[in-house]
Amino acid sequence: MIRIGIPRALLYYQYYPMWKTFFQELGAEVVLSSPTTQTMLSSGASRVVADTCLPVKVFCGHVLSLVKECDYIFIPAIRSVQRRVYNCAKFLGLPDMTKAVIPESPPILDIDIDVNKGKRVLYQAIYKLGRHFTWDPLKVRRASIAAWQAHLNYRELMSSHSLTPPQAIEKMLGSSEVEPKTHSSHSTSTQGTIAIIGHPYLLYDEHINHRLIHRLEQAGNKVLTPEMLTTEELESAIVKLVGRAYWTYEEEVVGAGGHYLESRIGGVIGIMAFGCGPDSLMMDVVRRQAARLNTTPFMSLTLEEHTAEAGVVTRLEAFLDMIYRRKRKQVEVCV
Amino acid sequence: MRIGMPHMGNIFIPFKAMFQRLGVDYIMPPVNNQRTLSLGVKHSPEGLCIPFKLTLGNLIEAAELGADTLLMIGGYGICRLGYYAKVQEQILHDLGYDVEMIQLGVSERKFFGLLKMIKRLSNNAPWTKIVPAIRFGLAKSNALDRIERVVQKVRAVEQVKGTANRLLAKAVKAIDQADDYNTLNKVRMDYIDQINQINKDGQTQPLIVGITGEIYVLLEPFSNLDVESELGKLGVETRRTLFLSEWTKFSFFLNSLGLNEKARIHKAALPYLKRDVGGDGWESVGEKVLYAKEYDGLIHLAPFTCMPEIIAQNIMPATKENIPVLTILCDEQMAKPGMLTRLEAFVDLMEWKRRAQKNH
Ligand code: SF4
Ligand code: SF4
Repeated sequence: MIRIGIPRALLYYQYYPMWKTFFQELGAEVVLSSPTTQTMLSSGASRVVADTCLPVKVFCGHVLSLVKECDYIFIPAIRSVQRRVYNCAKFLGLPDMTKAVIPESPPILDIDIDVNKGKRVLYQAIYKLGRHFTWDPLKVRRASIAAWQAHLNYRELMSSHSLTPPQAIEKMLGSSEVEPKTHSSHSTSTQGTIAIIGHPYLLYDEHINHRLIHRLEQAGNKVLTPEMLTTEELESAIVKLVGRAYWTYEEEVVGAGGHYLESRIGGVIGIMAFGCGPDSLMMDVVRRQAARLNTTPFMSLTLEEHTAEAGVVTRLEAFLDMIYRRKRKQVEVCV
Repeated sequence: MRIGMPHMGNIFIPFKAMFQRLGVDYIMPPVNNQRTLSLGVKHSPEGLCIPFKLTLGNLIEAAELGADTLLMIGGYGICRLGYYAKVQEQILHDLGYDVEMIQLGVSERKFFGLLKMIKRLSNNAPWTKIVPAIRFGLAKSNALDRIERVVQKVRAVEQVKGTANRLLAKAVKAIDQADDYNTLNKVRMDYIDQINQINKDGQTQPLIVGITGEIYVLLEPFSNLDVESELGKLGVETRRTLFLSEWTKFSFFLNSLGLNEKARIHKAALPYLKRDVGGDGWESVGEKVLYAKEYDGLIHLAPFTCMPEIIAQNIMPATKENIPVLTILCDEQMAKPGMLTRLEAFVDLMEWKRRAQKNH
């Protein structure tokens, strides 16, 4: 059986159920890399120039960990999944960049996704990808329909059950696929409600964010994430702040940020990666909005290769303290 | 309505010519200087690329001088650039400037976008006035680039360093002031002659380096600490494919006719980078492959944190076409002494390589 390696990084969080279904339907075996470790991060970082953003370094680490485990590595070049809304340059360059910096990698399966070029081009691209496994166009068609269905189920699961991507993946595909269990679902008293915004590959990679969600929950907070909002909520927040979306993943930052800042919760934490181009702009839009509204506390946390755990913890504690103090004050006023 | 716009090299000259002919009320901010940079850095979010900071500085300085309508490049699918205007507008508003931003889309239907914008700015001037005004602007841009090409050659071999640059500065002024085609042509020919007549070192065969990278830092000497002149002082001739006039010609006119000047460069990049990654990353890789056969070295100019150029930087070492590459990351931290040391070392390396090749 052909083994397809999928790095547990970057777009994995958005598309894994879809990809997995597609390849399995075509009779391939999917090999997923394990959750990020320090070794992966360091090995990935050693291959690219220092200014490369953290998530791409992590990605390279995952690819390196798959080198001997599979026959192909799947790295799509996703340019656009919505008309006239484009992805960060890094995603487009990913297949070629990986090939250049990890020459020992198994052959890379790439596919160009750009909806601006029309449906036909998209179908052709999918078919071309499927041809590695079968000559039967019908089979490819069936696989892509199943994959699409899996994707819809996945999204539906997240929004209707308020699940994070790792939780939804666990529910859909079984427990062997998840990161170590961290969610203490039955915390008795809720201290506050905190929203975290940012790209899924930052929010849900527990190694690089030092188990942020877990820490918040441990401290008795309810944590909200961008996936828990509906498309309409996200879009209307974007329209309000910047007009029309420019980046593919603007929803996760400007959309969710804009929405949560106005939703009377305890606070909003923006997570961004050092060296991230789009975030430097998008997070600034959110920060400005927070300052303008001046109703919901906002903090942004920049994750770096060398971010010390202690640093994250200190900043988090200070932020939470501030929120709790505010809350107590409000309660006093009400009484 | 008083128009202001950011700088990028000499782009203000053709725009000024156009505005004057159309009676547009405009104000040009001071050319890039230390204050522009500090203003831009101070008010920019962290982690942004130098073009954002400098253009923000320009816009602030234009607003200070009374501009109320600011032109800025926009569009989509072109990296962070397309998002600049949205954030810069918010920054200016938060600073208390009541300005309107007009985005000049460069991603699709640019030609019509440009025409429409000019029509609006000129208070609905007739096309018979607009078209000649654009043409005259382009003629100036052309003249500037023709002179600069000569300067690039002469700078490397002139006996008294700095002569060509001094003439270039004068030429820029004269072109800026030229009111009609006659004067413009005369100025152009005159200066090209003068520059060609500069005393040169007879027998030297200067090293030749290609300059590639991101468009803004390529075309705005202030942002790259005038790296081309510094190379000239070290006796190196510089060449680049990207010039403002060419870029305008293609991106505003010929590309819409389906002509693509970059096809050759993209084709060269294909084995290593199969697709456009926004910005100029694809071209950087392609130019490395192409120049490897022609030049002694390549200077790769990239804004610090520039996403497409980081991709290029990661891919470039893997090409089998080999040529010494020096990547210079441009930002406000960059200092001249450091850059000069690196340039000198790079020139030594190229000289050594050339000698080694000769002895073979
Ligand atoms: S969006 Fe930011 S973090 Fe993600 S790949 Fe691009 S630069 Fe890196
Ligand atoms: S290409 Fe580079 S310099 Fe230009 S907007 Fe993008 S990141 Fe900034």
